[in-house]
Amino acid sequence: MLSIIVTNLRRRPTRTVLTAAGIAVGVATIVALLSFTQGLQESASGFVHLGGSELGVFQANVSDPTTSVLPESMVGRLRRRPEVAQATPLLLIVEGIKRDPAAVVFGAQSDGFFTKQLVIVGGARPTSWQTEALVGDRLAAQLRLSPGSTLDVKGRAYRVAGVYHSGILFEDSGAVLGLAEAQRLIERPDEETNVIVRLSPGTRASAAARAIERDFPGTQAITTPEQALRAGANGTLISKAILVIVAIAIIVGVIGVMNTMAMSIAERRGELGLLSTVGWSPQRVATLILGEGIAVSILGAAGGLLLGVIGGDLLVRALGVSSYVSPSVTAWGLGRGLLVGVAIGVLGGIYPAWRVTRMTPLKALSGT
Amino acid sequence: MTERMAQAGAEVLVERVSKSFGRISALREASLHVEPGQAVVITGRSGSGKSTLLALVGGLEQPDAGRVVIDGRAIWREPHPARARREVVGFVFQRHLLLETLSAQTNVEVPLLGAGMRHAERRRRALELLDEVGLADRAEHVPARLSGGERQRVAVARALANEPRLLLADEPTGALDSVTSERILDLLFGLRDRLGMTMILVSYDSAIGARADRTVTIVDGLIHDHDAHDDARASAS
Ligand SMILES: Nc1ncnc2c1ncn2[C@@H]1O[C@H](COP(=O)(O)OP(=O)(O)O)[C@@H](O)[C@H]1O
Ligand SMILES: [Mg+2]
Repeated sequence: MLSIIVTNLRRRPTRTVLTAAGIAVGVATIVALLSFTQGLQESASGFVHLGGSELGVFQANVSDPTTSVLPESMVGRLRRRPEVAQATPLLLIVEGIKRDPAAVVFGAQSDGFFTKQLVIVGGARPTSWQTEALVGDRLAAQLRLSPGSTLDVKGRAYRVAGVYHSGILFEDSGAVLGLAEAQRLIERPDEETNVIVRLSPGTRASAAARAIERDFPGTQAITTPEQALRAGANGTLISKAILVIVAIAIIVGVIGVMNTMAMSIAERRGELGLLSTVGWSPQRVATLILGEGIAVSILGAAGGLLLGVIGGDLLVRALGVSSYVSPSVTAWGLGRGLLVGVAIGVLGGIYPAWRVTRMTPLKALSGT
Repeated sequence: MTERMAQAGAEVLVERVSKSFGRISALREASLHVEPGQAVVITGRSGSGKSTLLALVGGLEQPDAGRVVIDGRAIWREPHPARARREVVGFVFQRHLLLETLSAQTNVEVPLLGAGMRHAERRRRALELLDEVGLADRAEHVPARLSGGERQRVAVARALANEPRLLLADEPTGALDSVTSERILDLLFGLRDRLGMTMILVSYDSAIGARADRTVTIVDGLIHDHDAHDDARASAS
């Protein structure tokens, strides 16, 4: 049986390849989107843990966390709370660097923990925070910056004092200015985007978040990547859109395979009728069809995995979000892709196979 | 060559069988009795109901009314008609209906696969059958690389695979030239003589009737059973 399946597929290469290609496209879409969402999750978790913090306080009900605005007085009040060990304000400047609009510029206090935890891998920390900046190693590599070169932010030139690495994608693809300088640059004195917080030992992040939100109405305290993704209206929209697209990809895949299988069966009515005539049971005929469907699906799914991994990367590039999202290909993600691909083959093969078992052999024989 | 004279022919009983397709009445209360080992030729014009009769005898279609009984078994009434076909009947059609992706040998193995026979045994038996129809050296060829006559020979080998007691052939030479047709008929009647199975052969060419024990003509779904040669001889003596 297996050898007949293999022979059938091998001797009809065009049909096999076209069917497999249809499945591959479906699987590729799913894998690309899953790796993109996974990447989004991971970068969201980086966003939550900026500067190695456990909690980030933002303005509530904003379309995007980067558009949050908090008064400067927040920090002092937060620092006085028992559950807070350290707190430091950040002012985020997006699209501040023309040569890489996706890079985020962090305005941070030079003595805050955000700046202090950056490991300098080239050059040194700025001596003058009015004229000098630090750049992340990814941004440095991308824009070919090194200590001594010039970084242009919002039309103003800063000398690169040093290059840092923190291990968080956002930070390493961005740059750091002094908080006061950043506020002056975008003309928002006394304001900040968010306050990042390190908690006292023994404090639970979720409990602290609830207490902070209660005591500071109009703020939201983010502790998990999911929260970060949902924090902005845009994030919610993206998650939902991806869900819808994955669903569509699966439906398109199933319909495509069903169509191909149905066509291949219509074309082979005579052959299948013959099998029945020479005494193959309906189950055996159905097994042949399903077997072919599954084999093609595995081929297609394997191709789709490869395409999907490449596609995820292209998607990120096309959207220009490589500073926020690095598509993350996990074994589970690939496994799911493969599973979906094979499921498509089975689903797509079941109906035509069932149809064949309902045909009387003579109908099948006379039909062609 | 295998000699399987022990393999008996089946008795075929068709009793007042009718079959319609929509408003077309293909067979009307047709009756036919074929004794074990007999070779019967069925002739008639195109559309007269010959293929329908053969399909009903072979259990490919269910009669609307009446009974088809092969060796005491009503094939369509059995829980597994495919299995009953496999155990009793071998088919040869006008078109060879070989699976075009498979070699001649694998095509002959197909019914054996349906019967769940093991690989080595299948292979041995397929090669033996191809030898029997004179194609031992074509076992690895796919149908596209065989001539029309050779393809039909493979189809005959396939029909013999399950050692049927009833061989049904529906215009087996209809697509072949006259020389090749004669060879295929020689093969079929030779096999019948040697293996002893019952054979029902449909042909629009009534001349073939000379080779048979009996000729039956169908006109518009009605059977005209000519006196069979041996019946005539029997009644004459
Ligand atoms: N599967 C079918 N569906 C509809 N009509 C059919 C079918 N098979 C046969 N017929 C009709 O039944 C009649 C007898 O057909 P058939 O037995 O094939 O004749 P023959 O083999 O003698 O040429 C014809 O009128 C044919 O059109
Ligand atoms: Mg016919």
